[in-house]
Amino acid sequence: MNPYIMSILICNLALGAIITAASYHWFLAWVGLELNTLAIIPILAKHHHPRATEAATKYFIIQATASSIILFSSIINAWNTGTWDITQLTTQPTPTMLLIALAMKLGLAPMHFWLPEVMQGTDMTTALIIATWQKLPPMALLYLTSNQFQMVLLSLLAISSTLIGGWSGLNQTQLRKIMAFSSIGHLGWMISISLISKKLLILTLIIYLLMTTSMFIILITSTTKTTKDLGMMWTTSPTLSSIMMITLMALGGLPPLTGFIPKWLILKELTTNLLLPLATTLALSSLLSLMFYMRLTYVSTLTISPNTSNSPMKWRFKLTKPINPAPMIITTLLLIPITPLIY
Amino acid sequence: MSMILFLLKIAFLLGLLGLSIHRTHFMSILICLEGMMLILFLMMATFTTSTNTPTTAILPILLLALSACEASTGLALLVATSRTHGTDHMKALSLLKC
Repeated sequence: MNPYIMSILICNLALGAIITAASYHWFLAWVGLELNTLAIIPILAKHHHPRATEAATKYFIIQATASSIILFSSIINAWNTGTWDITQLTTQPTPTMLLIALAMKLGLAPMHFWLPEVMQGTDMTTALIIATWQKLPPMALLYLTSNQFQMVLLSLLAISSTLIGGWSGLNQTQLRKIMAFSSIGHLGWMISISLISKKLLILTLIIYLLMTTSMFIILITSTTKTTKDLGMMWTTSPTLSSIMMITLMALGGLPPLTGFIPKWLILKELTTNLLLPLATTLALSSLLSLMFYMRLTYVSTLTISPNTSNSPMKWRFKLTKPINPAPMIITTLLLIPITPLIY
Repeated sequence: MSMILFLLKIAFLLGLLGLSIHRTHFMSILICLEGMMLILFLMMATFTTSTNTPTTAILPILLLALSACEASTGLALLVATSRTHGTDHMKALSLLKC
């Protein structure tokens, strides 16, 4: 795409998210969400491939509907309470409607059906943007209004997200769809303690962003898109292949890696508040996503490729310039000792 | 709750229902989306007059500007869909199914 247009689109993408996060008035939050959606549509449809157009169409419909439901709930709240303040969204049914609209924007189950398809239809870098940056504006609104939500609805969203993220990811071979289901699962964990502890919401979000960014950087650098490509990833870069194994374990939430921090602290908070069935269900359903992370590890790192390869390094005609993976990877693997400082 | 607000709420929900339970065409989704935006415009305009808050009088105009941008994006996607898939039938958008 023309670099001037691309830079304008990326600036608007950033601006939309920042406007939403920095706003006090509901209308400005809606403006930021709309700007974000409008800016990413050409980025999604950049390749003019039928799959890219379909992904852009589905993304547009879902996000536009969710934005209009958000504005609708804020207007109803303005009629009832007289204020457009984001933190003053109090009279029912407004917070419930807002939560459902935000769940639609984030891709929480049962409103998750668009996320795997949209992430599959675009290239890896755009999928990275959808999985990380596009979660920030709805999360900002969730953070500000989280004290008005009902725990029942939050538990339902959390349980269905983790279960669906785990189960549906089991039958996938395309890596972008697998990352989409992993995203759904992590968002389920985030939404379960949004009412109880906002600090943990932000902590889980940041650690999820770090881990997902690391994983995507590894996949972009080695240009692997399916599990079949993962089998030959060791020829592209053996170091990256073994690092990917440990990053996948971090995504699965295994100690002593960083992915364990949010799960541990969330389970601690949930048991302190005596929400034991929720905590148990979340913990058990994260085993399902661990299964497909283990499968990716097995295919890429623990098995030998079936053909004899003549050279240990693959000759690539078009080198992908990697974003520096080192800081991301170090933070996804080694952050546990600083837990007392961040909680 | 006043009668106007009740009717506008019902109208928005009808538009939302029409958007969710689309039958064949992508165009009907876009029309329902525009209908929802129009209802939001009416709600904002009647909010300004009913509660006598002149500070929010500009909001319907800003909403209109932004929803026009959104509508044009939707139409551009409709054109792109009909160029790549041939129709605007929603059933044709099935290349990415799990």
